[in-house]
Amino acid sequence: MASDGGSSTLQLPCVFSPKSRQYLALCAQDGRLRVWNTDNKTLQQEYVPSAHLSATCTCISWGPCRTAKEGPQRKKRKSEAVQVEERADLLAMGTAAGTVLIYSTVKGALHCTLDGGHTAGVNCVQWHPEDSLLYSGSDDTKITEWDLQTGQTRSAWKADRAAITSLCVSPNGKLLLSAGYVIKMWDLETKEIYRKFTGHSTAVTTLCFATTRPPDGNGLYFLSGAAHDRLLSVWQVRDDGKDKNSVVSFTLTDEPQHVSLIPSNSKEEAVRLAVVCKDGQLHLFEHFLNGPCKKPLSPSCTVQLSDTKDTPAPIPLLAAALGPESRGVTLAYGNHLQPVMERVELDTTERQICLPRDIHSSLSLSMETNVSKVKTPVVNAKSKVLVPGLPGHHAPKASSQVSEKRKKGTDIKEMSIAERLGEIDLDKASSETGVSKMAASLQTDNLAVLLVQGLESHDANILNNVFQTRKDMAIKKTVARIPLSTVLPLVQEITIRLQGHPVSARLMVPWLKAVLMHHTSYLASLPDLVTQLGVLYHMIENRVKLFHKLARLHGKLYLLTTQMAANPNSSPATDVDHTAKLVYEEESSDEEATDDEALPDAESDHWDEDEEEMEDEEAEENPDSRRASKTNGDEMERGNEISKGFTESSCTDSAQPPPRAEVAAGTGTRPGNGHSFTDFLLSQTRIMFRSV
Amino acid sequence: MVEHGEIRVVHRGGSKLNFRQPIFTHDSRFLLCASGDGVKVFSASTEECVHHLLAHTGLVTGLSLRPSNQLQVFSCSLDGTVRLWDYTDGILIKTFSIGCPIYAVYSSGSHDGVLFLTVPAKDDKKSDTFRLVAVQLPQSPEQFVEAREFSAVLEDVSSNPAAVSFGRGGHFIASVNNLQLEVFFFKKQKSYRFYLPEDNKHGQKNTFTCTTCHPKEDCIATGHEDGKIRLWRNFNHKKEYTYSTHHWHHTAVGALSFTPEGTNFLSGGGESVLVQWRYNQETQKDFLPRLGAAISHISVSPDGCLFCTSHSDNKIIVIHSYIKISAVIQGLVQGDRIKTDLIVDPLSKALVMNGKPGHLQFYSLQRDKLLYNLDIVQQEYIHESGLNQFDVVKADFDTGGKWLATVEERKQNSAELELNLKLWAFDEQTQSFVLNTTVSAPHEDRVTDLSFSPDQTTLLVSTGNDGLFKAWTLTAPTAEDESASWSCDFVGSYHGLAPQCCSFSADGSLLAVAFREVVTVWSTVTWDLLTTLSQPPGDIRNLCFGRQSCSKYLLGTTDKNQLCCWNLLTCSLEWSTSMDVSLLLSDPLSENMAAFCSEAGCTDLFVFRPSEPRPLFSHKAVCPGRVLRAVFTPREEPLEGSEEQLQWINRSQLHFFSPNMELLTFSTKAEEDRLTASSKQLVIDDHVAMTPFYLLLGKRPQTDAREVAAVTDRVQPPQGSSAIRELLQTPAHVLPSTSQLCSMFVQSLLVSTADKREPTNVTEEEMESEKEEEDSEEEETSRVTAIKNQDQTRDPKDPGLTKAQTRELRQLRKLDYSWVGALVEF
Repeated sequence: MASDGGSSTLQLPCVFSPKSRQYLALCAQDGRLRVWNTDNKTLQQEYVPSAHLSATCTCISWGPCRTAKEGPQRKKRKSEAVQVEERADLLAMGTAAGTVLIYSTVKGALHCTLDGGHTAGVNCVQWHPEDSLLYSGSDDTKITEWDLQTGQTRSAWKADRAAITSLCVSPNGKLLLSAGYVIKMWDLETKEIYRKFTGHSTAVTTLCFATTRPPDGNGLYFLSGAAHDRLLSVWQVRDDGKDKNSVVSFTLTDEPQHVSLIPSNSKEEAVRLAVVCKDGQLHLFEHFLNGPCKKPLSPSCTVQLSDTKDTPAPIPLLAAALGPESRGVTLAYGNHLQPVMERVELDTTERQICLPRDIHSSLSLSMETNVSKVKTPVVNAKSKVLVPGLPGHHAPKASSQVSEKRKKGTDIKEMSIAERLGEIDLDKASSETGVSKMAASLQTDNLAVLLVQGLESHDANILNNVFQTRKDMAIKKTVARIPLSTVLPLVQEITIRLQGHPVSARLMVPWLKAVLMHHTSYLASLPDLVTQLGVLYHMIENRVKLFHKLARLHGKLYLLTTQMAANPNSSPATDVDHTAKLVYEEESSDEEATDDEALPDAESDHWDEDEEEMEDEEAEENPDSRRASKTNGDEMERGNEISKGFTESSCTDSAQPPPRAEVAAGTGTRPGNGHSFTDFLLSQTRIMFRSV
Repeated sequence: MVEHGEIRVVHRGGSKLNFRQPIFTHDSRFLLCASGDGVKVFSASTEECVHHLLAHTGLVTGLSLRPSNQLQVFSCSLDGTVRLWDYTDGILIKTFSIGCPIYAVYSSGSHDGVLFLTVPAKDDKKSDTFRLVAVQLPQSPEQFVEAREFSAVLEDVSSNPAAVSFGRGGHFIASVNNLQLEVFFFKKQKSYRFYLPEDNKHGQKNTFTCTTCHPKEDCIATGHEDGKIRLWRNFNHKKEYTYSTHHWHHTAVGALSFTPEGTNFLSGGGESVLVQWRYNQETQKDFLPRLGAAISHISVSPDGCLFCTSHSDNKIIVIHSYIKISAVIQGLVQGDRIKTDLIVDPLSKALVMNGKPGHLQFYSLQRDKLLYNLDIVQQEYIHESGLNQFDVVKADFDTGGKWLATVEERKQNSAELELNLKLWAFDEQTQSFVLNTTVSAPHEDRVTDLSFSPDQTTLLVSTGNDGLFKAWTLTAPTAEDESASWSCDFVGSYHGLAPQCCSFSADGSLLAVAFREVVTVWSTVTWDLLTTLSQPPGDIRNLCFGRQSCSKYLLGTTDKNQLCCWNLLTCSLEWSTSMDVSLLLSDPLSENMAAFCSEAGCTDLFVFRPSEPRPLFSHKAVCPGRVLRAVFTPREEPLEGSEEQLQWINRSQLHFFSPNMELLTFSTKAEEDRLTASSKQLVIDDHVAMTPFYLLLGKRPQTDAREVAAVTDRVQPPQGSSAIRELLQTPAHVLPSTSQLCSMFVQSLLVSTADKREPTNVTEEEMESEKEEEDSEEEETSRVTAIKNQDQTRDPKDPGLTKAQTRELRQLRKLDYSWVGALVEF
């Protein structure tokens, strides 16, 4: 029935390593084997089989975990090293050419090739859980048992009339399931058929033992799934042999692609199952296996992934592996060439879960990590920056209550106010020419009315216009005329504006001053003064904090600039060390090459020096002469270097960093190179002052 | 110790990889690397640790391949032994006891059977002068050999292994120490010394740092403190020596190495740039910059294809000879000190702490492997000493792992301190941390503690030396296009005292902040000061709320050796005891608390419940020195242990750093046994052929052995057949004609096959034979392993000969059979 095996070859092999799910082995369309690390989500290694295009890899299976073998056990003093980790190492790959490759992920190399066992493509490979045996099923209808110690076939037998599409070894290593025309259960001791099961009409792609119990006592169950079949069947191996039909079936949305199963050890323990279907959905099941169940079971939870575009498209899941905890699932999704791995905690109480994922950015992030082992978190413009003085940096006590108190009344007379505003402007313009007290008082009167209206209506335009006033007298009078009820709103308005841009903040300072001068008694009588003025207080405190330092800096810079201005003759560049701290000069070391080929006269000079050195060394026992030799050596060295020309010394100078002193920005003692720098600092200071 | 004998302190990894130069094996496929008390064998291509060779009881200080057998390696250790290993199988072959601490080991092809060791000059073991001695290794079949016959080669050598190097063909040995280069010629038994002046005119230091010799010519390269490399020649011609100076490095040359053919040499230093110089064409240089940290060792593979550099951040980089990085083996990064606490990332379950400068490292405890470094500061680190650069000083995760808070700090020369508090959100869509809020200068002085509230509300508290503690909350966005960001919600202080630590209660409703010797308890909802507790004298050092059923207790330790427990329901002191607790922490999954106490230079551990007067577990002398960093990490699968004293490690494990930065943990014997048992079961995998080539050649002996077994089992009877004996033993001239003999001979054979089975049933017969073979094979493997364990070299000649003979015999017989069959047909 399934001799073509068409459906199974379409599926790309994709397997998580056992136990800790540390690796994902995946053979993509290009025939290369890639092993991905699920911990840091990077490509661990890539292996190209020698005939990866002709003999493509059709199936993968991880070998049983092993620990790194330790040397002879020796007791250590106190702290004893334990190699507790069980590592997945060997991978068996079946190929379309009928060979089986064993690849070691620890060594990153092919371990051995098993060939001569099959005459047609291998469809499935399975490891024996304990012995070093491997089983492979092939299109040539045979099952081959490989002895890995020798790399030879231990036995091979014709198992079915059709191609063997799937195999599974029982957890205790005694039984083997094979699927061809029918599902057969073999006794591995005798290689005899133990049971036969019929039920699937298409090629069986999945076989899996669901319990770890022994076959006697009706406790052994296994699971099978077939191509183009939207059901997973569970079969019970019964003592009485009445096991012709499946006992339970699980419904899926498409044919199963990857099955992960946590077998149950006892009747009280449920079997947990995670099935990734061909349509890219993950279905989770949980079921207690005890006897037949007529109704097909639907999944307890379905997981789907989608991208984050405006019209979300589904992202296909490739594989899923259940973890030891009930909710943790390791997922692999996206493209076979570049899958994304993730460990998620699923909320299994919900029946449908959709996880939005941005594949592209996560991929690009993981790719960069591969070589440098450095992951750079995303820093974008959206992130907020809080500097001292901004709201949120330093909280007052219970400031939030204030804003709630604020009334939200809207004024209707917006037009008229605008007109009046225009009049004021005209007045203002006219008053420019002839300064009259009368006009000014009129203006302040108008201003006070305007201010009250603006505060009540929260009209930014009016308030802006009012606050533009820079005359101290006008401000004072305006503040003096406003009714007491508007004092508090005014203070709040001033507070908000002070927190804003430094320029507008500067305008607010005389206003605040005036308010405090005129209404101190009122403010002092307020019961919740602390909460009302807390923000203001903290903000001013923060802004003034740096004042002393800035003043000092300003003084220093002022001193410098005046000195420079007073002394125009001294060119600043003469005695200044312009060398950079670090110089990577590749060309500059050309001169060094001439070291060996020095001039002939220099060479003779050199010779003499060496002669002296030699003599000195002979008289080495005498400490005095030793000292002499030292000084001589010094001379010699100097001589050498001189003979090599001045180029070298200049070169070494440039390579050697000058003593660092003037790099720090704040000190500003650097005279040279200075104009732009000091100018910059001055401008910075000015800006800062303005903000204060 | 006796009563809790089952719980032991075990090493959990994280030892140094960069302590000594890693060496390549002869086929360049593996890297051998001294790591703590063991030797690690890494695959150069996959970065995986293939074997971990453990037997030394002291720090391993040197490695050297055995010149006569490149598949074996010598390792020397401070425990005074040299051990010989088979690194492909990870087996200890021999142990040579030297008797004094060894600081380096060298071997040379021209001195077979002799090892050169750096040992202390005097026997008092404390002197800081060293000498190089030659030790003749005794030929002895025993596994443990005493080798105490030294002959001194050089006096006054440096303990740094890079300071000694063998010259061309092992004719001479060069050693540098301070300002002296000493060359010793073995043939003449004479040494020459060359001195450099202490300071040259630039005020730079001329001190030698390392040396290496050209493999083909008489040339010695030395590296110097001031970054110069000198190539010495003519040092064997009395005193007409010359040297040439090459200067590129601006800091001390850390490592030097020639390629095997001597066409190039490599140098590296604090700039973290690998420089490849052409020998005799030193102006032509290749550079590999930005290697991340200062280069401490360089080694080159025997075929010259691979270089490897080890770095000060506990990393080994494997580099192709065309100057391209091919693999990075990264251990636990050990900075000068861990400034952040140890934290567990709730999502990846990784241990998080300071990593590279400006980074947080995520370290997988299960696999003893660095996952990645997270770049927090995001500024290029300048590799030069004496610069003040940003580093992460505090970090914390919230309970769900959705938020990460970090504090980075830069200490300027004077009082100016730059601080940044960064809040990172974990974005599930991109599977990465995204910066949400940066708060510059959250405090005006150092941040002393940072803690997330354990309940689901996003609340972070930071305490600073400026006398304030601040509560930060996630606030809803003010505008439509903005996302939620963090802002300060409350600022608290207490009499202007500086808060040192803070702790949240298990439900997050209470916050305890310690101001000097006063503990203040605040409500996190209303931010009211609820109560103050104090137990003078002594400032509070640690604060910890009890968990679960003990959540009404608040525990604190003071620097006047007090451990206090307050009951928050009565606001009174429940109990206190006098002990010098350096670290107090609570297990998030149980009521248990762990206290590390300093006692007479050692650290003791007490695990207790605040509600019970008796400690659950105590362990004296966990490690020397003070333990300052520890963490409870949740287990993936809880252990089933019924014993009361073991229950505290059932759900979570306690990991801690010893003062010399070893990561240790507590484990039970049973747990280790379980793990080793499973490993023993699967050890057979090692018998799988190493390579396809091995499959061709290496499997021969095994199959032969099996055939021998098979032959002796079954083929014996026909040999004893009378017809054959007659045929073979009677002289040729008395034999009847061949036609007569033939039928007789064939008949005798036919009888024997008929005896066994029908010839048609081939497959079954095969299986039968397989079964029998399986038995014999098992015997064989067990025998092989037994032999391997005894470390006796199997004498291959005797059985090999008989094997060959029997095989030939069998083949002959087969031949005979077919030939005779053909005759019969005829």
